[in-house]
Formats: sequence, C-alpha cells, structure tokens
Amino acid sequence: MVLAKEAVTPEGQVLCGAGTELSQEVIARLTKQEVLTLTVEGHPVQLPGEKGLAEKLKELDHRFLKVKNDPVLKALKMLIGEFWVVQEKGEEFLQNLKKSKAK
Amino acid sequence: MNKEEIRQRLKDVQSLPTLPPIVSKLNQMVSDEDVTAVKLGRIIEKDQVLTSKLLKMVNSSFFGFPQRISTVSNAIVLLGFNVIKTLIVTSSIFEVMQASDIGLFEHSLGCATAAGIVAKKLGIKNPEEVSTAGLIHDLGKIVLRAELPEEYEEVVEIARKHEQYMREVEKEILGIGHGEIGGILARQWNLPERLVYPIEYHHKPEASPDFKEVSAIIHFSDILIRALGFGFGGDPWVPPLDHSAWARIKFGKREMTHILEEVDEKLMELQDFTLDIHKDEVETT
Repeated sequence: MVLAKEAVTPEGQVLCGAGTELSQEVIARLTKQEVLTLTVEGHPVQLPGEKGLAEKLKELDHRFLKVKNDPVLKALKMLIGEFWVVQEKGEEFLQNLKKSKAK
Repeated sequence: MNKEEIRQRLKDVQSLPTLPPIVSKLNQMVSDEDVTAVKLGRIIEKDQVLTSKLLKMVNSSFFGFPQRISTVSNAIVLLGFNVIKTLIVTSSIFEVMQASDIGLFEHSLGCATAAGIVAKKLGIKNPEEVSTAGLIHDLGKIVLRAELPEEYEEVVEIARKHEQYMREVEKEILGIGHGEIGGILARQWNLPERLVYPIEYHHKPEASPDFKEVSAIIHFSDILIRALGFGFGGDPWVPPLDHSAWARIKFGKREMTHILEEVDEKLMELQDFTLDIHKDEVETT
C-alpha cells in the first residue's frame, strides 16, 4: 500500500509524505509516533460495515427518486456514481463501462 | 397545535439544556470595544469542560485547519467570535443530538464540512462561519424532537409511511417547518443574522431577506450530503434544488469533481471524529 496523504502525528507533525510505500517497518514507526489514521491510494480494504459498490449505487438511485427529472441533480447523481466507480475500480474501468454502454 | 401555539412553546423551551451562563457574560464583553481575543479566551478557559468540547470541535476536520488549535484565544482569532459563540451556545444541543439522534448529528457535521469546502471554492470571507451555519441548519429538528416528541414521532412516521419529505409533513401537521422553527430559536439566542437566515431559509434560499449566497451554500450542501448518503436527516430523499440559488453558486463538472474529492476525504476523517465521541461517551459512562 502507498500513502495518498502525508502521515501526521496528533500534534500536526508531518512524518512522511504522500507516495511513501507502507512497509512493516514504516507502519511500526508510525504506530510508535501515535499516528492514528492514514490515507492510502485506491480502495485496498473494505471496512467492516462498509457497503459494496453495487449496493451504494442502488441506494444512490433510490435517494434521487423524487428529483429524478431535475437536470442539475441528475448530473450530480451521475457524477457521484462515476466518482465511486473510479474510487473502487479505477478510471480505466469507468471508460470501458461507458464504451460498452454506448455500443 | 397551530403555528402560534408552537411559537409560544418555543419561547419557553424546557427540554433542552439551558444556555451556559458564560454566554451572557461573553455577550456583554463583546460589546466592549477594548476586549481582546486573549481576554475572551481567558474567560472561556475558566470552564474546563466547555474549553475541551470547544477545542475538540474547532480541531475537527470540518473546519480543516492544518495545524492544531490549542488555546481558545487562538481559536477566536482563527475562526472569529461568531463561530466560537455559536459553538458555545449549541454545545449542549449537540450533546442532546449525539445521544438521541446520531444520524442527524452526522448529517449536520457532513453539511458543515461540505459548506466550508464550497464557501472556500467561492472565495467567501470567513468560510468557518458558513461551516457553522451548516452545522446548525437543522436546529429546528432537534428542538422539535426534544420539545414536541409526540408530534415529532407522528411527523417521522407519516413521512416514512407515505414516502414524503419530512418538512412537507411538518407543514401539514404543525403548520410550520423545521427551518422556521430553527430560525425562531436562533433569534431567541441572539445568534447573528448571517447564521439565522441560512437556518431559516435552507429549503428556500432565495426567499432569505439577506445573506442569500450563504443560504444558497447551505441549501446545496444539505442536498450534496443527502445525495452522498452521509448521516440521516429524517427522511432518505434528496431535496429539490432551488435553481435561482444554484445560479448564484453554480459549479462546472470539473470543479464539482474536485469538491466531491475534498468532501469525500473530509467525511472519512469525520467518521473518526464521531467514533472518538462514541469512545469518550463510553469512557465517561
């Protein structure tokens, strides 16, 4: 796993920058410095209780039911959906999905 | 119960914790032109519990300061007195909310986060004040739940059963919506109009007599946070967009994607913040 954001102590001191590979040694050092949260690239771990992509997209659709004819909100819904797809599957997956829908 | 009876009831709100006595003292001090942030900070810091709650809020991710704020006077300088005063006034309200409706608490934190990010994108002066307006935009729902629990339950139940917006049912049953209720209370507490109007008009921002841009930001942030499904605002539906308000703030696809990225990142941090609060509650009980 690779850091997407700087690792910072609770006091605000930056310990290592974005792009750092998280080896066991680095993780042990950060733990020792009481770093509580890290942001890593991609979506390598599904957290307990976290919903899967298909379920998230289904619920997104449902929430927009009452405003489905509003063009601005329709665009917002699409943007959020695409954002989640890219977050979980990557940009290439989204582009392939769009191509296959266009056919 | 009609609108007037509800207004009367709100004048004598019983079920919410009273305002900390420190608020009236601070109000007096602020009208004194010679008072400094250090002096105000010293007064607030005499109350250790309040100070610790306040510093926890100002250091949470929705204000997004890169460095840690460790003193109240520092917080006053960075966030402005309006924000600090509002956080003090509403600190007890948030305790009620955390205990009774964690979904609404998360929705409010999420809206504060989105509002701050949107305000910064628009180059608004003092974006922290806009965040604070987002934080308390659903004040009316908290008051309703605490002061009129039976009517509140009825509203929630009808909205759920008939798949309606909660505020539509509030108007049918009570003759008044949570925006207006929140506005009445915020005025009673002498919060500045820059915060009162966005609370009162977050569902019809163009009707706001002033601060239409801030009201539009809160209106859109509420929509965005509901769209993302973060927290729970009483019903699951994305509210209708006021297009005149949208025209005031309007973002293109690229800008909106950047906003989504920033909001998403902050919401992850917020989850840690709410988890921390749960942990503190468990430790103190």
